[in-house]
Amino acid sequence: MSAKPMLQRLRDAANEVDFNRFRFWFQLVAFVLFVYGGYLAIDLGSKLPFFSCGYNQEGRAGVCYLLPLQHQLGRNWAVLFSIASLSILTGFLGFALWFIVLNKGWCGFVCPLGTLQDWISALRRRLGIRFSNYTHGQFAQLTKIKFVLLALLILIPLGVGGGFFSHDMSPPFCLICPARMILPIFTGDLSQFTIDFSSKTAVVMTALGISVTALFLVGSFVKKRFFCFFCPMSALHYLISKPALLKLKKDGSKCTRCGDCYAVCDMEIKEIADDVTTTNIMTDDCTLCLKCVASCPETGALKATFAGIPIFVSTEAGFIKRMNKGCQHGK
Amino acid sequence: MKIPNRPAALLLLLMLCGPLGAEPTEAQKAEWRARREAAGGEAPSEAQRAEWRARREAREASANAEGAKPAASAHEGHGQAAPAAAKSKKAPASAASGMAHDHAGAANRPATGVAVDKAPGKPEDAARASGRPAGMGGMAMRGGGGAVWLSDSPPARGDGAARGGMGGMGGMAMGGERSGPPSKRLWLRAGNDPQKSGFAREDAEAESQTLLVRPQGVLEGEVLPPPADGKKNLAFEMPVQGYYRVYASSRKLQGETLNVSVAKAEIANFSHGGDEEERAKALVAPRILESAPIEIVREKAADEKTFFQLKSGDEQAFVVLQKGLPVQGARVRFVSHEGWSKEAVSDEQGRVSFQIIRDYFPAWDDFKKRFKASYLIIAEANAAEKGVFKDQPYSTVRYQATLAGNYYPSPDDYRSYAWGLGIGLLIVLFCGTAVYLYRRRRLKPFQEVRFDER
Ligand code: SF4
Ligand code: SF4
Ligand code: SF4
Repeated sequence: MSAKPMLQRLRDAANEVDFNRFRFWFQLVAFVLFVYGGYLAIDLGSKLPFFSCGYNQEGRAGVCYLLPLQHQLGRNWAVLFSIASLSILTGFLGFALWFIVLNKGWCGFVCPLGTLQDWISALRRRLGIRFSNYTHGQFAQLTKIKFVLLALLILIPLGVGGGFFSHDMSPPFCLICPARMILPIFTGDLSQFTIDFSSKTAVVMTALGISVTALFLVGSFVKKRFFCFFCPMSALHYLISKPALLKLKKDGSKCTRCGDCYAVCDMEIKEIADDVTTTNIMTDDCTLCLKCVASCPETGALKATFAGIPIFVSTEAGFIKRMNKGCQHGK
Repeated sequence: MKIPNRPAALLLLLMLCGPLGAEPTEAQKAEWRARREAAGGEAPSEAQRAEWRARREAREASANAEGAKPAASAHEGHGQAAPAAAKSKKAPASAASGMAHDHAGAANRPATGVAVDKAPGKPEDAARASGRPAGMGGMAMRGGGGAVWLSDSPPARGDGAARGGMGGMGGMAMGGERSGPPSKRLWLRAGNDPQKSGFAREDAEAESQTLLVRPQGVLEGEVLPPPADGKKNLAFEMPVQGYYRVYASSRKLQGETLNVSVAKAEIANFSHGGDEEERAKALVAPRILESAPIEIVREKAADEKTFFQLKSGDEQAFVVLQKGLPVQGARVRFVSHEGWSKEAVSDEQGRVSFQIIRDYFPAWDDFKKRFKASYLIIAEANAAEKGVFKDQPYSTVRYQATLAGNYYPSPDDYRSYAWGLGIGLLIVLFCGTAVYLYRRRRLKPFQEVRFDER
């Protein structure tokens, strides 16, 4: 047997994998790692490109980059505009290096908050409750919010450092981030579920935080990946996604615009089905979950590549295998 | 597509139950309160609180008057000098660089006098001090105005300045902060009250020495030069992470008694982006000086984090050691920021434990959760040791050790679970119902599509 068929068989195996099962286990392992890894003294630093929340002090195996970023930007201006701020650049570099490996795949496969939303969706599906969709008009408006949040996440700390805002507003995004409240619960820490009455700003910020968390729970129950739509981390990802290694590619000539990929997409990305000219098809909302690739019936129409090497390609055989499996489960 | 759902649902249920399980924390709070009350007279009485409040207000009032015309301080006998200096917000540097250089020197003069020179204003202070459950009056009178201790702020700034920073986040990684190694300044002060102690006076008859023990330096410590250039503060750099300890000791003969005092300060220097190995090493390194004639060691709890902050309501133990060995029967006094004090005697392990009281009661609008208050621990032990000091014989030795530290308001004083969970639940219910009703409405056909069957 020569090497080529061997490689080919490997490829076929990958392409015909029971993708949802694979992804579920991958997400579960990542969740356990980043929510409980701290107990095993795992520490992957503070530049992680997803919500491994720093407020989960006991269990975290690393810290979400947004936290140190906001702290660094919130420094006193005298310090901020000095050579000491070189650490902001090195910090960003560290973040970018992490990010480049998986691109937005960190969202689709690793982020504990993303995984949680998938689990909440699974619960909804089990209960037989249908999900909601946005209209195209709503989609077009809402998709901008994450960039607004990203801008605020940068501007407010600068304002705090300059003395324009109260220190109780720092770090602004973390104070309204649902991960800050929800992830520590998994290690038995409920201390984030309090209203801080020590100042007016603190009352407002903690109340806002709790409100957003409540909205998160309701929202992600009726809408798949409800929060990811507004996530500033996702916006930051998109801004630096050009050089990333993992990529989602589309061959428009093979696409029949059947709409299967759009139907499975948690983020309701219409372009994945409609756009037959763009080859690099990852949009700002995409979480690189690759569900679209798994559901595409046209061989070679959609594929995920890593550093240019195709690692998961849509095939007819794979599609049929996965669909049959789905049918058997229905029985 | 359906395979993964069972474990997921379980986990989710667990999570959703989480917030409900939070309720007991109210109970926890009640228990905490009960414990504090059960701890006996440790909590300040209402009357005491009222007195503190009144004193603070009076001080603020006089400070305001002071700010307008500094020379007028003499007209009021109440807390004129030191608090006035504190409130007029002198830059710490100017306070440290010696009063003589200060343009408002005349107004400030009594501040140092209070503790050191027994200048006017002192009688009132002394009266107040004796009004407290002191019980250690005998030991206090040394160096001119009470125990000598090392403080991280000069007298004029005694009022706890809120420092930015951690804000209840514990060990968070934030990346390196300043450029150059951080440095620390300490002031030697004399007095039995953290806020009212003035600068310690230099005593020509005493034999003194100051040692600095660095985290990775020699265990015996190295001599720290006395303040130079007319400054009053001891200064040193902290290039590596760990606990820096300063021991300012002095010996002085008084009649037949040799007074040996050791003022100690321990500074935890840890940075968020710092080297892990260095930190791990520092956390297990010894924190005692075996050559110290007497010293107080703050006991670290087993689960204490690197960025530890003592909070009102916490229980904190201290150990009294002589040459590294525990001292039984030492009299140990805890003095709070407002001057409230409590005395205890060390057990056979040299250990005493105090509950850090809450004595910060500002008007709610002025409440600062990062209010840094100082406590002072004074330990004393006598021994019938004979010897010769500077050619003079002595028959007893009086050992005195001091250690100061900081504490902050307890989060329980300003955070509420009831409100947090209440708001959360309300929004979940409201939004849940709204979504449900909205979706039900959408289930019915639009009006245009319905037929009028009549
Ligand atoms: S609160 Fe949110 S943004 Fe902040 S560290 Fe946690 S996950 Fe990151
Ligand atoms: S977009 Fe979603 S998955 Fe990605 S970081 Fe944000 S919350 Fe996590
Ligand atoms: S476009 Fe594909 S990879 Fe991106 S979110 Fe939608 S289904 Fe996932």
